Amino acid sequence: MKSIFDIITKQPIWIFVLICIIFFSFSSPFFFDLSNFTNILIQASTIGVIAIGMTFVMINGNIDLSVGATVALAASLAVGLQPQLGITGAVFVGLLSGVLIGGLNGIIAWKTGVDAFIVTLGAMIGVRGLVFIYTGEQSFYAHDLAYSDFGASSLFSVPVLALIFIFLIILSHLVLKYTIHGRNVFAVGGNRIAAKEAGIRVGPHMLVNFILIGFLAALSGVLLSTQMGASTPNLGRNYELWTITAVVLGGTRLTGGYGSIIGTFGGVLAIAILRNGMNLLQVPSFFVLIILGSILIIVLFIDKRFSEQQGHGVRA
Amino acid sequence: MKALLDSFKPGLKDKEISPLQFFGKHGISVALVLCVVIFSLATENFLSADNFLTVVMQASIIGTIAIGVTFVVIGGNLDLSVGSLLSFATVLVVDLHDKVGPGMAIPLMFVFTLLIGSINGFLIGYLRLNSLIVTLGMLSAIQGITLVYTGGKNVDISDQENTWFAFFGREEIFGIPVPALIFIVLGIILQIVLLKTGFGRKIFAVGGNETAALFSGLRRKRLVFSTYLLSAFTTACAALILGSRVMGSQNNVGEGYELLVLAGVILGGTSLLGGSGSIVRTVIGVLILAMIQNGLLLLGYPYYTQWLVTWVVIIVAVWLDIAAKRGKLLSSY
Amino acid sequence: MKVQMKSVRIIRSLGKVSLLAASISLGLSGMANAETFRIGITQNNVGVDSYQTTYEQAFEEAAAKAGNVEAVVLDAGGDVARQISQVRDLIQQQVDVIIIWPTDGQAVVPAIRGAVKAGVPVVVTNSNVAEAGQSLIASFSGPNNIQQGAYAAEMMCDQLDGKGEIVQITGQPGYTTAIERQKGFEDRLPEVCPDVTILDSQPGDWNREKAQRTMEGFLTRYDNIDGVYAADDNMGVGALNAAKAADRAPEIVFIGATNFAVGYEAMARGEYHGSVYQSPAEDARNALNIAIAVAQGKEVEKVSYFDTPKITQENMAEFEKPVF
Repeated sequence: MKSIFDIITKQPIWIFVLICIIFFSFSSPFFFDLSNFTNILIQASTIGVIAIGMTFVMINGNIDLSVGATVALAASLAVGLQPQLGITGAVFVGLLSGVLIGGLNGIIAWKTGVDAFIVTLGAMIGVRGLVFIYTGEQSFYAHDLAYSDFGASSLFSVPVLALIFIFLIILSHLVLKYTIHGRNVFAVGGNRIAAKEAGIRVGPHMLVNFILIGFLAALSGVLLSTQMGASTPNLGRNYELWTITAVVLGGTRLTGGYGSIIGTFGGVLAIAILRNGMNLLQVPSFFVLIILGSILIIVLFIDKRFSEQQGHGVRA
Repeated sequence: MKALLDSFKPGLKDKEISPLQFFGKHGISVALVLCVVIFSLATENFLSADNFLTVVMQASIIGTIAIGVTFVVIGGNLDLSVGSLLSFATVLVVDLHDKVGPGMAIPLMFVFTLLIGSINGFLIGYLRLNSLIVTLGMLSAIQGITLVYTGGKNVDISDQENTWFAFFGREEIFGIPVPALIFIVLGIILQIVLLKTGFGRKIFAVGGNETAALFSGLRRKRLVFSTYLLSAFTTACAALILGSRVMGSQNNVGEGYELLVLAGVILGGTSLLGGSGSIVRTVIGVLILAMIQNGLLLLGYPYYTQWLVTWVVIIVAVWLDIAAKRGKLLSSY
Repeated sequence: MKVQMKSVRIIRSLGKVSLLAASISLGLSGMANAETFRIGITQNNVGVDSYQTTYEQAFEEAAAKAGNVEAVVLDAGGDVARQISQVRDLIQQQVDVIIIWPTDGQAVVPAIRGAVKAGVPVVVTNSNVAEAGQSLIASFSGPNNIQQGAYAAEMMCDQLDGKGEIVQITGQPGYTTAIERQKGFEDRLPEVCPDVTILDSQPGDWNREKAQRTMEGFLTRYDNIDGVYAADDNMGVGALNAAKAADRAPEIVFIGATNFAVGYEAMARGEYHGSVYQSPAEDARNALNIAIAVAQGKEVEKVSYFDTPKITQENMAEFEKPVF
């Protein structure tokens, strides 16, 4: 009980999530409902899965702007290759593409010393080019219905997509908090040079995290394509922006060395709840953009005040 | 005080230069020349005055914005909201053109664009919020404001033939397209401001070493604030060109520009850490990207091929630049 | 410990109160709206051009006038994933019928399958869904885009007197309207004008600036262009602008579709040569009427096209200038 209270006070995003839930429950009769909550989880899972990886990368002091393009690449491969490789083969190649892109980003960042922002900015542009070249600007469709059936399937009446998301949240939280790799993430992010002096192999470590986020972005793309039974070349546009937004809302600092999966989860939920609630309230889409943008800035401001008052340390 | 400021200036050391260091300093110009040579050999249409003017013209919108954003980046920050701001400004000037005439529309557009720039400047300069996140949030918010303003409808100028507004996007002076002139003239003026005025030197100081700058009495808040005003100003100029070219605007006309602008600035060698950079190099960076786009198109490749080439070019260019500065090719991690 | 117990109790009672409030309002709304139908619509991309904005306006007006309709109007912003979420949200809001203006004709099919499974019939408007979805939908209402493509081919043929080299600027890739207009055009052209060749075809994404840049690329690459077919006038005017800037407009024939006000004006000036008249208001009203009929359980036509005639410089006096 005490630790839950702790979380809420030290991570303002969860207070915000609570306020949103209460507000929307009163404003719309359709909000406070199990099927709506599972809808929210599914909608959150697309950005959420990527945000897990982004948390690791950002605590490291890096960033990854190429995730949106990776989503599109993985989705296009996972659907487009089905006639040749079958569903399992195509999905495998899709996931592999994410691993390779992440690996490429990681190696370039490690060996050349070019800042992750620039490396992944280049990848963002270039991988999207790869997607367009591979797809010829066309959408691909999964003629095998089993693919989209998976996207709609449930286990114990909870959608499989939501289960996968929750499972990954729990797993990554445990890794970040209780494993050596997890502790190294904070060390490298806090002070890269000191970490190196302490014996941590910084380059390979960061490479692992880039591969992780590349894989998760690919996974998100594949899962999204099962919901559609299709892939579109413009899939994932602006996903990197929303992922970074969610992670920062959750309390992870852009400067590195500080962050948590629980916080990221809160940030992801906040955005999904806001979108879902505003949909249910039929807020015109134009205003949704203004509201989301302003909230990001406001939460940033509040968080700055909070942390200036409390002081903070390294924590998962 | 002057000595302190001088120490922040990007210094020129006259020791012997390794090939790597040569690349670092002059690499960007080498790249430009290489670009021209490769494309001229590959296709006959490339090396013509007409085509060159087309390239500069196509680069003019991105380039104009990039000039202002260079100041922001030298100051140690980012501005991702310029794309949405471009949409907003273009839509505003085109819409107001028919309502109050171009004479009033243009100043009004500048006022409102600078107003938004000042919001950025306030949040980042005075409240010291992170510039990546703030301008990301503004990207969404400005997009929303634009849509609310137009109600989602396109805006059009009805009498496109008889308005002097066409000057900015469609006319020529001594055979040079006006957009190119605006781009080049702004570039020259702001390069002088950057390198020759106290203001410019202070921006370098603020971006380079914040703590020292703070202690030497520089007004960081005001300086950062003014960089965002500059970026909004150049975006407004770009909106003049764009609005005049299309004489009508859809709400999302500026979408994606922030990335191209950033790519140009980075390619030009301005460091994202702040404290160094130059307008001339940004201009060259933008021109290189425009040439790649133009050249590939002339060679008959689909437009998205340029994205692959841009990816490689950016990474190689920045790598060489960094390698030159640290003296060796590979990093030590 | 005491403080925490108290807050837990407060939270629990808050939860109970909101649940109670929710059920009461749900019950009340259920009772009051026995005669009214809840119709939800998820549109493609309201902000991308004024046809779609005018459609939305007309839809909301028609729904208000109908008296027995409560409309839930959503916009997918051109994002397929968002449209799928919106379909789910509409099911959640217990609408009687879902009208969908698909952002991608194939990718929304699983979402439609989900809606039909949940007992909510689906009506498609303006841009059809793919083959795989045809058995699932209750009806499609919109323009006949293949016919429009064919019209464009015929108009191009007339204007060129049967011979020439042309370029094509298509709509958004993956969008059924773009695909159908391209198909209609490319199928019909060799039938009426075997001597007219298509030099190149690039997407304009329904965006005027993109179409302008694409045309600039064409003009640089091809020394002789006799005509341009743009999948809508918004893009067609962009191509016209590019041609005018290069001083090559007089020698080029411009044919488009979905006559926009700018297209109409350009036609009046003699710079633009042909288009297809399409009323977003009619489009919206048709969709609403069919949806109401479906909600009432009536039989509806599987496919209802509304009339979209050719408009050229010769017959343009018969048409009113479009409001969008």
